[in-house]
Amino acid sequence: MRILIVEDDVEAGTAMARGLGEAGHEVTHAADGRQGLTAASEKGPFDVLVVDRMMPNVDGLTMVETLRRQGDQTPVLFLSALGEIEDRVTGLKAGGDDYLVKPYAFAELIARVEALARRRETGSVQTLLRVGDLEMDLIGRSVRREGKEIDLQPREFQLLEYLMRNAGTSVTRTMLLEKVWEYHFDPQTNVIDVHVSRLRSKIDKGFEHAMLQTVRGAGYRLDA
Amino acid sequence: MRLPPIFRTTPFRLTLLFLALFAGAASAFLFYIYSVTVLEVTRMADVAITREVQSLEGVYGRGGREAVRRVMIERTQDDRPFLYLLEDPSGHRIWGTIPKGSVARFDDRNTDMVRFSVTAPGETGSVGHDLARGERQKLTGGETLFVGQDVTEAEAYVFRIVRALWGAGGLVVVLGMVGGIIVSRNVSRSVAGLNAVVAAVQGGDLRARVELRGARDEFEDLAAGLNDMLDRLEHSIGGLRHAGDAIAHDLRSPLTRLRTRLEVAILDVEAGKGDPKAALAQALEDADGVLRTFVAVLAIARLQAAGSAPDQTAFDTRQLAADIAELYEPLCEERGLEFKAELSAGLQARGNREFIAQALANILDNAVKYTGSGGAVMLRTRRRSSGELEFSVTDTGPGVPTEQRARVVERFVRLENSRNQPGSGLGLSLVAAVAEAHGGRLELDEGPGKVGDMGPGLRVALVLPRVG
Repeated sequence: MRILIVEDDVEAGTAMARGLGEAGHEVTHAADGRQGLTAASEKGPFDVLVVDRMMPNVDGLTMVETLRRQGDQTPVLFLSALGEIEDRVTGLKAGGDDYLVKPYAFAELIARVEALARRRETGSVQTLLRVGDLEMDLIGRSVRREGKEIDLQPREFQLLEYLMRNAGTSVTRTMLLEKVWEYHFDPQTNVIDVHVSRLRSKIDKGFEHAMLQTVRGAGYRLDA
Repeated sequence: MRLPPIFRTTPFRLTLLFLALFAGAASAFLFYIYSVTVLEVTRMADVAITREVQSLEGVYGRGGREAVRRVMIERTQDDRPFLYLLEDPSGHRIWGTIPKGSVARFDDRNTDMVRFSVTAPGETGSVGHDLARGERQKLTGGETLFVGQDVTEAEAYVFRIVRALWGAGGLVVVLGMVGGIIVSRNVSRSVAGLNAVVAAVQGGDLRARVELRGARDEFEDLAAGLNDMLDRLEHSIGGLRHAGDAIAHDLRSPLTRLRTRLEVAILDVEAGKGDPKAALAQALEDADGVLRTFVAVLAIARLQAAGSAPDQTAFDTRQLAADIAELYEPLCEERGLEFKAELSAGLQARGNREFIAQALANILDNAVKYTGSGGAVMLRTRRRSSGELEFSVTDTGPGVPTEQRARVVERFVRLENSRNQPGSGLGLSLVAAVAEAHGGRLELDEGPGKVGDMGPGLRVALVLPRVG
């Protein structure tokens, strides 16, 4: 997919571009908000914009606000050294779709960029999710694998829904805590892992092919 | 010209202002009294004069011109005699005690009171002009009768009283000025203490405090307020400084470790031995540890610096605790711990949900880490009889000895038996900071007691002030 990185720290921007490039994406790098706006209009359309909040000339917030006013709805991932809740809220209000606090693990960045791009692909409202032989009925709140009904707790259902919507891409523990539990702190213990392994025992146990994979150094991935 | 400092103080200026207002009001009052009294004196003289004229007219009616003259002469011997003048119809003076020219020309219409002055020999032979009033009356035989009265003395009396009042007023003004100076000096002394402290703080000495004199006045209140403000300021700056020192201290060792590991990895790779990938993976893990510590210390410092938690909203304590319980219950189960949640319904609290959730998560993290398999962890929310709201986590782990309970809340303090557990040593410090930022506190007590090789356990309570 096509990604525009707007980051004034050249070294960080270059490293990001390289990493995302190696993950198979086509990356354009702009060094500040003004260049970012130019790139977005001239070299677009992009699938995802990765925008640093604090930059010279036009800062990240202003840049994204400008884009949104112009009707550009490309998903935006904000990068910021400001990690307090109110900073996050400001970023999302300005038109950002996700917010990642520096410093971040590379796997986290890639997972979030891909999740944003995917969300765009499946923009329409779905009532049925299907990954391989796993089916989720969002209205009837039921899950089946190979036609066999699987009984899930409400939170397990939400967890699986998020994994299914991002099937094929890695999601990190922080993403799960943020999107499924809606908390933004970093637990010291492996609480998320335990929830995932419970879910795994329900959807994979007794089936030949394990769908819920642990991705080393990144998190989890649901594969068909 | 510059005034001496004492005259430039606010109390002295206020004194001057009030004295000016007082003097103005007193002058107006005295002028009013003077006017009214003078009018009254004049009126009384007029009444007496009219009565005398009527009396003399009576005498005239009975005995004619000669009788009037006799009566007038007789009455001149009185204590305060009237002034008389009797003229025949052609205007010639018949008898009188005042010269003819004293009174203006008479005409038929003029029977009103007239003001005039009489020359009277003073005691030392000097000639004074006394003020007098008088009334003319045409008698039936064509003679003109004039009766007057010297009013100088009465008016002078009034004037003397007024002058005495003026004197008193002047005295009041002088005393007021003196009082103003004394008050200003006292106030200046109080304010000078405050100013000295402000100057000292501006100069960077945060430990300067105003000396309280126990006067219980508003200056004392201000001084106490200033001292209190400085205490808080010193506390939070101390907290920031401590956080800075703590970050420096605690980041130094992992950073050094990280650097050493990288250095050794380079040497190993150069020598063609060792696994560079493993060394890098370890280095990355070390870096993550450093970052986690950094984030935690920063969160604590920001909470402490802000004084109160941002974005506080009303929330249901049961809902929040149930969320966190749901998050931790599987972990407890996996660790072989019995988990129980006892959550009172209908308890509303006010606070930052995210911070309180994180605080609860930290407490539960600790409980899970230190309680051995087969133990139990219990999360409770309740309202205390004092009205305070309590979130508590009780475990059956080894607990914390009484004398060390205060210490474990401090930053980076990790007890000896926890060295081999992961963690930054900041968990409870953050909980304490969250509690303080909500006006609450963190309490550590003994758990349920010793049972076999379990216990005595620890009970950690996050106490929030009562709502409403």
